[in-house]
Amino acid sequence: MSFETTRRHLLKGVALGAGATLLSPVLSRLAAHAAGDEQRAAPRRVIFVVQSNGLHQHHVTPEAINAPQDRGNRRPTNDTLFEAPLADHALPSAIEPFTPFKNRLTVLRGLSSRISEGGSGGHSTNHGALGCYPGGRILGQTIDLALGDVFTGLYRHLGLGILSRPEAMMNYSLCADGPDRPAPIQCNPELAYRSLFGSVAGGNSRQDFDRRTNLLDFMADDIRRARAALAGEERQKLDPYLEAFETLHQRQAHIERIQERLRAHAPRLEEHFRRPTETMRLEAQFELAAAAVITGLSNVVTLASGGGGQQYLSFPDLGIPVDGHHYGHGGGTNGKSYEECFVTVRQFHARLIADMCRKLQAVREGNGSVLDNTLIVYLSDSGESHHPNLYDWPVVLIGNLGGRLRTGGRYLQFPRYQSRNHRTLSNLYLTLLQAAGRPRERFGIADPGLRDLDQSGSIPELLA
Amino acid sequence: MRSHLPRFLAACMFGLPAVAGAQEGKSVAFVDLARPFLQKHCVKCHGAQKQSGHFRVDELTADVGKDVDRWIAVRDQLRDGLMPPPEHPRPDNAQTRNVIAWVASQTGVVASRLPNQGNLVPHELLFGKATEPAGVTAARLWRLSPEAYLGFVHDVARGRVNGLVQPFSLVPERGIKDFAGLYAIDEPSAEILLRNSEAIVESQTGYTIKDGKFSTKNDTVRELVALMNPDKAATRADLEAAVQTQFRLAIGRAAGKDEVERFIALYERCRKTSDQAGAARTMLQAVLLRTDAMYRIELGKGPGNRAMLAPDEIARSISLALLDRRDQPLTKAAEKAELATREQIAAHVQRILDDPKIDKTKFLKFFREYFEYGKAMDVFKEKPKTFLHSPNVLVSDTDRLVKHVLKEDRDVLRTLLTTDLAFVNYTESNNNKERKLEAKPVVVVNPNNDKGKKAPEFVYGFDAWPKEQPARNPKRLGVLMQPSWLVAHGANFDNDPVRRGRWVRERLLGGAVPDLPIGVAAQVPDDKHRTFRDRLGVTRETKCWKCHQKMDDLGLPFEQFDHYGVFRTEELVLDIEATAKNVDKKGKSLGEVLKGAKLDTTGKISDSGDPALDGAVSDPHAFVRKLADSELVRQVFVRHAFRFFLGRNETLSDARTLQDADRAYVGSGGSFRALVKSLLTSDAFLYRAAPTVAQGDPR
Repeated sequence: MSFETTRRHLLKGVALGAGATLLSPVLSRLAAHAAGDEQRAAPRRVIFVVQSNGLHQHHVTPEAINAPQDRGNRRPTNDTLFEAPLADHALPSAIEPFTPFKNRLTVLRGLSSRISEGGSGGHSTNHGALGCYPGGRILGQTIDLALGDVFTGLYRHLGLGILSRPEAMMNYSLCADGPDRPAPIQCNPELAYRSLFGSVAGGNSRQDFDRRTNLLDFMADDIRRARAALAGEERQKLDPYLEAFETLHQRQAHIERIQERLRAHAPRLEEHFRRPTETMRLEAQFELAAAAVITGLSNVVTLASGGGGQQYLSFPDLGIPVDGHHYGHGGGTNGKSYEECFVTVRQFHARLIADMCRKLQAVREGNGSVLDNTLIVYLSDSGESHHPNLYDWPVVLIGNLGGRLRTGGRYLQFPRYQSRNHRTLSNLYLTLLQAAGRPRERFGIADPGLRDLDQSGSIPELLA
Repeated sequence: MRSHLPRFLAACMFGLPAVAGAQEGKSVAFVDLARPFLQKHCVKCHGAQKQSGHFRVDELTADVGKDVDRWIAVRDQLRDGLMPPPEHPRPDNAQTRNVIAWVASQTGVVASRLPNQGNLVPHELLFGKATEPAGVTAARLWRLSPEAYLGFVHDVARGRVNGLVQPFSLVPERGIKDFAGLYAIDEPSAEILLRNSEAIVESQTGYTIKDGKFSTKNDTVRELVALMNPDKAATRADLEAAVQTQFRLAIGRAAGKDEVERFIALYERCRKTSDQAGAARTMLQAVLLRTDAMYRIELGKGPGNRAMLAPDEIARSISLALLDRRDQPLTKAAEKAELATREQIAAHVQRILDDPKIDKTKFLKFFREYFEYGKAMDVFKEKPKTFLHSPNVLVSDTDRLVKHVLKEDRDVLRTLLTTDLAFVNYTESNNNKERKLEAKPVVVVNPNNDKGKKAPEFVYGFDAWPKEQPARNPKRLGVLMQPSWLVAHGANFDNDPVRRGRWVRERLLGGAVPDLPIGVAAQVPDDKHRTFRDRLGVTRETKCWKCHQKMDDLGLPFEQFDHYGVFRTEELVLDIEATAKNVDKKGKSLGEVLKGAKLDTTGKISDSGDPALDGAVSDPHAFVRKLADSELVRQVFVRHAFRFFLGRNETLSDARTLQDADRAYVGSGGSFRALVKSLLTSDAFLYRAAPTVAQGDPR
């Protein structure tokens, strides 16, 4: 990369008017809007919901659908694609809250990602879940950040989540922007609220916002001074650092400009943002995620309920005071069996997702709603169970990304591991990238256990 | 083999780039040397009449910078012996070398920015006649390494910093990674730095208010936390003291008067809309984000093209060359103006090198990047059925071997290449009862999950875990036969003689191999019934062999081991006939049947630049012993150490520095410490030349 080029690029943007570079996706949408192309004008959004402790196959598979699978470990046994419509079948009770959105729902089974094994004693694949590489290290960009590069909002990517300790600020165990570059998931809803909507809140939140603006401005000036003392290449070496602070400063200015929209959609900073219980904090983060995509603060969000390492949660509000590791290993509590614990927690998450869908559906956009232009990807960083083997990594999709995906009301079970037409989680992510208009041949690292299979490319059955 | 360059050429090569007068030399070299050479050997096929490969050289002028890509292509083709083609008359060797050297000197930083391009400078020129004085380094900034950033946090925060995240990373490319010219700080990193700075200041200024009473937490910084008290308005003196303290912690020097003013102005600006504590924290955060906190500043103080680094620059540069954080005695010496002479600096370097309490992880880092055995963890393999493949164990075993050899610090390179000692699945833990360190295996076989499998010591050839370690392991010599290195330089399913050979060519022989040409899909046929050597025969085709002759024969002796690093006496290949017969009653296959094929571990060293080294070798043992005895191999090792500790590639003006370092190494009986000391007290390390071409501020 030439430093000079990036700088010129920025300056060109500045010459167009403050914030022009930063807002170019927004500007191009406005242009499309003016041209009457409502559909193209609408931004696309992707929300990943990652829940720790596995997404069990039977929690997402309607029993009456008679999916061809091994009775013991439920691994698919089909050699060709098995497909069935969801319309004819009731959803399993674990995901029953998705019923109103059944016509937007797609259940995917049979995708493997054996390569993601490793790290955290088999309890999480960490970055491997969204990155498709061994879970012990950060070997590349994860799919959410990769999509953030395409569907750029004011923030390229927003990570929101919770961890068991209410004081934990960040989870860096799931998302990455490149090799050895973890990306943050903010785990304190109140602080996340301040950083996203602080400018329209009063009191401390507004103080934080103003101080940040001052700091960014000061730093840009400080780096300019250091830069002036240099010459040649060394001077250019500081350009990206200077640009970083200038861009962040411009973002603050842009946030000031969209105050009205932020005010209209900002969640109310009520008690549940501060309460120490998991359910309330998670609810607050889902509210923030919905508000962030509606206001255009970000078009790609990762919502993480625990996740990475052995970061399990307990849900005392739901009658489950023990953490996921306990019932993950077959322990019951409060008269509930381990399976009942799993189902209760799953239902709670499904309700949160369904509520978020309702919020997105309620906001009109073009001829439809925000939900029409959104895709929700629900999965676990721990594949199909507490200690997964990752031969069959269930994923639930809601929405079709503004018509770019052929999803909705479908149950798709891909051919079993090591069969000729087997597909991997990486193929799913490649499909998302293709739908986003940024196709790639490969994503992550190939599974050496599938040496005779071409693991590249997207899944045509999912593309519109 | 040594060449003597014409005087005009020496003039333009040994000076710093683009100094006055070089223009003249440049055109003389072009007119008298390069242009006639191109006319004689290249223009016929790459000129106005004919443009083979859509490439022409007749338009090239003395202004190399104007057409740098084409000139680099010319240089590489000549250097690698790819052009002129074999059927055409060979150019004179000395003349070719001179043209390569001239182009190399003109392409300058552009061509040698990446660590893997270091070998492009011809070896015989670096170890030929050296000019005086020794070359210096251009004034520069060097972004902190990931480890140095953690060291920085350790220096500024006395207590625990919650939620700290690594903002920096290094290039994933092969070889030495932390070059000063490679790194800048972009927006995602800046975002992390911002959050980290908040967390650091939080840790520096922790306090509680209980029953209306303000009290500070442990491990805070007195001058900083004093500003947090809501009942005590901060005075100007308080603010000054806080800025000065934060400067000393983060930058290693006192703040200037102007600097203090600007930081207090930031505080005042924040104070208009914020409480005192918030405003003060923002001011303190800003110091942590400064350029001179996040970068090693190496500008040199003083005019001209040979200015010594300023004392605070020396303190930080030596600290970060040897450790990952500030060495306090060095910082103090800088404050007292006791880093003014080479002797004073050398005494500090020696003190750090000799202090057994100071961890020399930097040394281990160099050897990891030089040998690259750590990449074993990036090669993903199927789990073997009969034993445990644990790449992390293999890597930590080699780490330990390197540390063991460094502790002795005698004949370091030769020992690392030829020792028959190995650490095997080895770790140490505290035996609290007997209050001593106790050796034990890292990985043991889990009787439930790993039933019937053998522990990692099997890979080394041991049936039982050896209690005496390092253990004698005569079937494998040195790092290149450690399972970690073999796995790191292997593929997912097979050995990779090409990658191994490339490593030997580059790291031991100082040669270079062009990258895989675009559009070539390198594929060894997947004929499981043939040995890998046999299948690799595809590279002997003329168009492939031009490059593969530099690699394959140097990697093939390691066929002595399989791709997990297990010693073998035959290679298992598919028995087609037996497999066809291995079916059940219904004719369904019962699996593949393998058979042993004869193993061939011969190889060849060719075109090394040292005729005594060239020739056939029978097996990997003879091969590494021959290499370990070579002067060339030792000098190439010194070149790599130079790159690591100087953070840049060597240029022709560094000949003196390299030769001094080599002499220090040889004279000390192969002490790595002596080599490092020589490098860190060289002019190249301590002196800076003013930046040459000011390209103007685009703003």
